[in-house]
Amino acid sequence: MPEFPIADSIITSLHAQEPWPENVKLFQPYEVEQILLPDNASCLAVQAFLKMCNLPFEVEMRWNAEFMSPSGRVPFIKCGAFVVSELEPVVQFAANKGVTLCSNLSTEEKAEMRAYMSLITNVLVNAELYISWLDDETFNAVTKVRNSSVYPWPLGWFQTRTKRNAVAKRLKALHWHSKTLEQVLADTNGTRRLGVRPCIHDNNDSSPLSQASGDCPQARISGRVSQASGRAVFQETIA
Amino acid sequence: MGTVHAKASDISKNAEDSGGLFEFEEPIELDEEPIQKPQFKLDGVRARVDRVHVDGLGRTKDDIIKSTVEDLFQATDFEDVIVRAHKVRRALDSMGCFRDIGVVIDVSTGPGSTPEGLEVTFHVKELSRIVGGVNTTVSENEGNLVLGVKMPNILGRGERVQAEYSLGHRSSSNYSLLASKPFPHKPLAPIVAASVYQQNHEYPWSGYRLLDRGVLLDLAFNTSPATKHNIQWEGLVRDTSVLSKTTSFKVRENSGPQMKSVVRHIVCVDHRDEPIFPTRGTRVRFSSEVAGIGGGVAHLKTELDLQGNLSVTDEVVLQACGAMGVLHDVFGSSLPDQLFLGGPTSVRGFQQRGIGPHCDGNAVGGKAYWAVGAHLWAPLPFANTQSGLSSLFRSHAFVNAGCLADPDESGWRVESLSNVRVSIGAGLALRLGRVARLELNYCVPLKATRDDVKSPGVQFGVGAHFL
Repeated sequence: MPEFPIADSIITSLHAQEPWPENVKLFQPYEVEQILLPDNASCLAVQAFLKMCNLPFEVEMRWNAEFMSPSGRVPFIKCGAFVVSELEPVVQFAANKGVTLCSNLSTEEKAEMRAYMSLITNVLVNAELYISWLDDETFNAVTKVRNSSVYPWPLGWFQTRTKRNAVAKRLKALHWHSKTLEQVLADTNGTRRLGVRPCIHDNNDSSPLSQASGDCPQARISGRVSQASGRAVFQETIA
Repeated sequence: MGTVHAKASDISKNAEDSGGLFEFEEPIELDEEPIQKPQFKLDGVRARVDRVHVDGLGRTKDDIIKSTVEDLFQATDFEDVIVRAHKVRRALDSMGCFRDIGVVIDVSTGPGSTPEGLEVTFHVKELSRIVGGVNTTVSENEGNLVLGVKMPNILGRGERVQAEYSLGHRSSSNYSLLASKPFPHKPLAPIVAASVYQQNHEYPWSGYRLLDRGVLLDLAFNTSPATKHNIQWEGLVRDTSVLSKTTSFKVRENSGPQMKSVVRHIVCVDHRDEPIFPTRGTRVRFSSEVAGIGGGVAHLKTELDLQGNLSVTDEVVLQACGAMGVLHDVFGSSLPDQLFLGGPTSVRGFQQRGIGPHCDGNAVGGKAYWAVGAHLWAPLPFANTQSGLSSLFRSHAFVNAGCLADPDESGWRVESLSNVRVSIGAGLALRLGRVARLELNYCVPLKATRDDVKSPGVQFGVGAHFL
């Protein structure tokens, strides 16, 4: 679970009274050459959320989006003088401006939503990280190539190695590192039922929703895109 | 023949007695002046060197000593012997392998000695194999505590390995490992050095932090005693990150790791009599670098530093200095490559990097600058400057002027560099060893633009290079 400094939340909420500005930009890595599965999922999640809220924004792709982000994770939005990164702070930021998708949910439903969200973070995100970075086949064929595509040699190799070590460390701490691919896939099966939340149909302005097949991630390259957008839509559905 | 012999020994005795010649009390660097001649016409006395002894050698290899002292055997008269002995002594000293080098010249005796023959003996003490130290250094307005280990003369031919760990007062830590090898007998006396380093720097004026990890290969050589060249290749990975959440977005855009490969040439011609408080002479330093042979940053950068000193009276020195720099970006250059101006070591009266474009209070630098300064240096009033603590101090009054422009915004026009900033002031300077100085000035910025960050009043600066 990412951590968000409390000072940031306070600053964000203090200045949140103003209406949503026009020139909001969403920064993310290059979609075609660079972005990786877990990052793509998060980026689509934020994009889908903003679209569902009818908040105007412009997507800007930068090779160093990850390093520009205050939390070190993509995506982030630049809204006036504010820089807000990742889905949850963005949702909160929008809520402070009076834009919310779950105002009609009961407390119980909200609690349920939270539970789903943490299930996604704890299972799907870790599964995506595992498949991208620890599954040798995907790592060599996709992650290594894409992650180092924006750097000159040998910086790309060095950056990829550093990041792989960081991911491995995180997954070790969560006891995911020792799992086999089959175990990871079996774990993700538990999230299968998430796709059938009713509010998915409430919105009419969310093209990614059409992709919401509710599939559980299939752990191969062919499944990447639908898998990522699938998760993005899950998060939106419950947000 | 016997007369000549008697004369020779007599003169050598007298020359030794006349003092100062063989007691090299003065610092080695200052030995440029011609040796004071005694009344004797030493060059008229024929002499040759029969033998050279070097006492105190341990691990130092013979071949390097032999080639160093070889020069002595070319001497034809007594003055020549003395001058050459002096040169050899300096050569031995510059190897950095010995301390306490003494020279004795005596009449040669024993079998094989010639009538005009002399014996020259160098007494040296080798530096120990490993030397450790704790010292402080000063750079770019930051003081550092340095823990260092040196291994001088590691293979016996002047090779040196040096490791350093330094902790800055801005809580940045740096490591470096340096290996160098001199070739004193090759033409131009080159020194080859390679180093690996990690450097942390914080630039609060620009709102970013830099972590550099790199390799530096350096070839240094002298084309004349005062002209020093450095040809360097540097390959580094630098990681730029912002200092806080309120940092300007323009600075934030530069975050992330970048790889840079730079070829650099630095030439420095220094004719000054003293590096920190010179009284006469000029210094010119010209550095040019090309980045982009590999790596993700390509640019051309040129910087020029000038300094001239003139003694007005015995103790008052007029100093004029100038600096300029141009950066031409080809691709990928980001904030750390930019040129900056202002601060207690450049144009005083402004905050560090205070001149030029700013974005939300962060200096974002420019692509061209010039700066000039005129200083009038005088000793402390009412104090004896020849000796004691007050010899470390000087007082000065100055006028600084300069301009920094970012022609991306205004185009390459003369006007962008004619928006001059001026400040005046006066203050005290303290010499820290022979490498750095410390200044406490009262400054009044006279002319500034709206973007500049002025720092009127008392300003404190530490550094090795000042405008």
